[in-house]
Amino acid sequence: MALQNLKDFHRPDAIEDVLALLGKDEETLILAGGTFLRGLEARGLLSGVEALVDIRRVGLDKVVADNNGIKAGAAVTFTRLRGVVARQQEAWLGGLADALDRPPVQVRNVATVGGCIAAACPFFDVPTALLALDAELTIRSSDGERHLPLPELFDGLFANTLEPGEFITEVSLPRPPGNAAGAFLKLEATANDLAIVNVATQLSIDANRVCTRACVALGGGVADTAVRSAAAETILVGSRLDAAALQAAGEAVISDIDPMSDHRASAAYRRAVAKVMTRRALERAVARLA
Amino acid sequence: MNSRMDVVGHSVERPDAFDKVTGGKGYPVNVRLPGMLHAKMLRSPYPHARIVRIDASRAEQLPGVKAVLLPKDVPQIKFCPVFFVPAEAPSMVLDFDVMNGEIVRYVGQPVAAVAATTAAIAEAALELIDVEYEALPAVFDPEEAMQPGAPQLHPNSPNNIAVNPSFVAGDIEQGFADADFIFEGVYETQRVHTCYMEPRVCVVDMDRQDNITIHVTTQHLFGTREKLAFALGLPESKVKVVKAPYIGGGFGGKLELTAMEPVAALLSKKTGRPVRLEQTRQEDFITTTRNPIKVYLKTGVKKDGSFTARYAKSILDCGAHATHGAEVINVHGAFGLFFNYHAPHAKWEGFTVYTNNMIGGGYRGYGAPQGSFAVESQIDEICTKLGLDPIEMRLKNARKQGEPHPFNPAFTLSTYGLPECLRQGAEKIGWTAAIAAPKSEGAKKRGFGLAVHPVWVSGCMGFPDIYEHSGAMIKLNRDGTADLATASMDIGSGQIVTLCQIAAEELGLPAGAVRMSSQSDTDNVPFDAPTHASRVTYSSGNAVKTAAAAAKKRLFEVAATMMEVSPDDLEVAKGVVSVKGAPGKSVTVAEVARRAESPFVQMTPEGPKPTTIEEKGTIIGMASLSPKSNPTPCAAQFVEVEVDTETGQVSVLRAVYAHDIGRVINPAAAEGQIEGGFQQGMGYALMEEIQFDPETGACLTSDFLDYKIPTAVEMPRQMDSIFIETNEPTGPFGAKSIGECCVITPAPAIANAIYNAIGVRFTQLPITPEKILRGLGKI
Repeated sequence: MALQNLKDFHRPDAIEDVLALLGKDEETLILAGGTFLRGLEARGLLSGVEALVDIRRVGLDKVVADNNGIKAGAAVTFTRLRGVVARQQEAWLGGLADALDRPPVQVRNVATVGGCIAAACPFFDVPTALLALDAELTIRSSDGERHLPLPELFDGLFANTLEPGEFITEVSLPRPPGNAAGAFLKLEATANDLAIVNVATQLSIDANRVCTRACVALGGGVADTAVRSAAAETILVGSRLDAAALQAAGEAVISDIDPMSDHRASAAYRRAVAKVMTRRALERAVARLA
Repeated sequence: MNSRMDVVGHSVERPDAFDKVTGGKGYPVNVRLPGMLHAKMLRSPYPHARIVRIDASRAEQLPGVKAVLLPKDVPQIKFCPVFFVPAEAPSMVLDFDVMNGEIVRYVGQPVAAVAATTAAIAEAALELIDVEYEALPAVFDPEEAMQPGAPQLHPNSPNNIAVNPSFVAGDIEQGFADADFIFEGVYETQRVHTCYMEPRVCVVDMDRQDNITIHVTTQHLFGTREKLAFALGLPESKVKVVKAPYIGGGFGGKLELTAMEPVAALLSKKTGRPVRLEQTRQEDFITTTRNPIKVYLKTGVKKDGSFTARYAKSILDCGAHATHGAEVINVHGAFGLFFNYHAPHAKWEGFTVYTNNMIGGGYRGYGAPQGSFAVESQIDEICTKLGLDPIEMRLKNARKQGEPHPFNPAFTLSTYGLPECLRQGAEKIGWTAAIAAPKSEGAKKRGFGLAVHPVWVSGCMGFPDIYEHSGAMIKLNRDGTADLATASMDIGSGQIVTLCQIAAEELGLPAGAVRMSSQSDTDNVPFDAPTHASRVTYSSGNAVKTAAAAAKKRLFEVAATMMEVSPDDLEVAKGVVSVKGAPGKSVTVAEVARRAESPFVQMTPEGPKPTTIEEKGTIIGMASLSPKSNPTPCAAQFVEVEVDTETGQVSVLRAVYAHDIGRVINPAAAEGQIEGGFQQGMGYALMEEIQFDPETGACLTSDFLDYKIPTAVEMPRQMDSIFIETNEPTGPFGAKSIGECCVITPAPAIANAIYNAIGVRFTQLPITPEKILRGLGKI
């Protein structure tokens, strides 16, 4: 057992209590759904953890959806967020809906939107989708609140940029302008596998069906973190999203990724399929545009 | 074929189903005894090293630690831990020991153990045991291990060859000279785990007089008793193995003694308390696996597709100890490679080779999947090259019903429905039209493939050294039900319901009226060979049927006295004993059982009625016997796949599986076996592999985050199971068996379908998306 230094498990009822616990001189890990705890623990990655703080009772389980977008508390489960997204019936949330459907139902019912981000695991699905949605995080500490664009949270494999005493309280997804649609695709060995490669795309077009805005995000071991592909986005913006543009965008992701080789796949394989999956995810988003 | 029966041939509900879906209290993993301690084993981090010194003094001082077990505390006895052979079987290799004090030969070999008040304390104590090793050169590739100068793992095995079986028929050189074409290929299979759900676990109580009681996940009660006693130098009767109502899967993965059982026993004796030892998933991954085998296969063929010569050389990586590897190689050669097809000239050389890898083990199919992948792949290569029909090609060369058994002239292939399996399977999937259909122009290509395979029901008749007999005891109750007790373990595949159905049919009781005892152990039931080798329905089924027949004989004697007729005039069905041809004259089985167990005067509606000595005595039947033969179930499998040529992903869209398993005792259970077998075979074909660090030999596969098996989502959307019900004369009600046939053919059938889809032949399992893209030249 690799949580051999664990001394305390806390279930506070208020954010202030969380902050107080984070202020103690202990190696503390915030726990929400806990779905990745066992995987990290079995690989010896939590050997220093002395206290677990479960934040599921501190009121971070609310979702607000309006014309400006969606704001979800950090402890909102995938299942709950999926329900809200389904009720919106908006094409711009298509990629998020796809991604929330991918983990097995047992995971969806407990895994949280804040937890999957903070884990900084490049093989997860929902963070890739959030990256394509320009998600912004609200971060609390005893000093107050600050806001952080999602890419700035990732600091490498299983590492985030949060300072000691900080934790994520909310995720904001701004509604993209105009006629927008998103899509997400995952390549996996089985339906309960982590991603070998996943891709989220987000497209907006003007009245002439010219692309005004494009987001392409990739995860699943294409780099130490989920990444955006500026090269692909540049090709798409201003194009008519025809087959040639989508193909070129797919090819372009190569310049923005640095895949790893692991037991799931080699870097060469990830490079090859990242191109294909990007093109397919773009085709899926285009098909959803009004 | 027997006429329609009341219980056999019906999908009777499994008596264990309710308990399993509501938590399954019958599993050994749930056993807790008062005062029980928890044990953990310290394992070697080196693939090959000398143990210089072990110091456990720091661990002993950790609060909560009750005992530390070191190699010096463990009897240094070498034996074969495989359950289905004697511990000193001459055909096996006696190289296994529980805890070697001098040398480690693989990463993960146990070198010490701790018992403590909690598992967490025991685990923490392991880190306080100081072991000094002197590293030795290691070898992980079996062909390198066979070279001169390679590190030698065992003193009496030059070139690390543990066993080297072979056979020759005819003149192989002449056979190749007679051939119009010669095909050669090298086929490689990987190391996979059965992935049973319940981990290996035991709870052992050993007292100071060396009496042992053990609750354990095992496929063989009496094998556990014999091997545990042998490992500890005790008489067998000192060990009582409690029969769990069922275990959470086995698939051949719980078919030998490992360090776990004797270590827990010795810790129990040392502490005077029961000791529980449960392995983690990673420990299970490095305890037993299917042996990887590399097959060099060379076949001589005439223009018309008939074989003139078949040659194979098989290199089996048995890891640090031979154990199952000494027998898997034989089954692989005899059944995996050479059983199904004739050739006037044949030659095989098998090598079971030591390496510093983990020990291999039993796994459903037992060497046949590795052989079938080679043979059934190469037949398709031959058909492609020579433009032959793959069904006709197989039928032309396959053995036929009525022929002598190829490996045991005492038997004939009394039932062998392979042609009918091929015919009905092909018809169901629409084979002729399917393979003629043009390929799609898109990125996703569809393809069809087939493979066939027979198995031998039981490892028994014909192979030396292998235990093969079964026992059963049946007792009639006064309420018209019966209790059945056997040592045959239900490992999840429905042995309980099948055996109860056989007993009920023979006794003329309704389905559900026969119950499997949940309170058996090695003290109170007769010997049975393991639940392995597809043998239980056939072999244990025969014993159960014979025991039921004995009980029925006594039932008729008592009933005859009651009814004042001859026992020969009686018949029984649906719980009622009646006089043949006189339907009105009957008594219920319950009335007869009550009569037999009543006091000397029985109260009846007609008033008190004396009973006679002849009528009295519980109606029981017992049997302990070996089956008469060793029949051969066989199967033909057809699959349709779709290959995504841009990602390399393979989806199996459809599977049709036609089996000749003799009479089907329980169709739903048989279908479950077939679908589960396909799932395991499909994982073997496409994704499963335990991975190791090539430098250190350490296992990189920790759990199911790393090791992927097909889920319901990956299973074909359509699966058809077809039963060709031949009537096996030596089987219970005509039954043969189903356990292994279904796991053997998915890999070659899928490989053949992939070839049909994209024109690329894969000869190394698993056929991952990455290999497909490489095969297509895309990476």
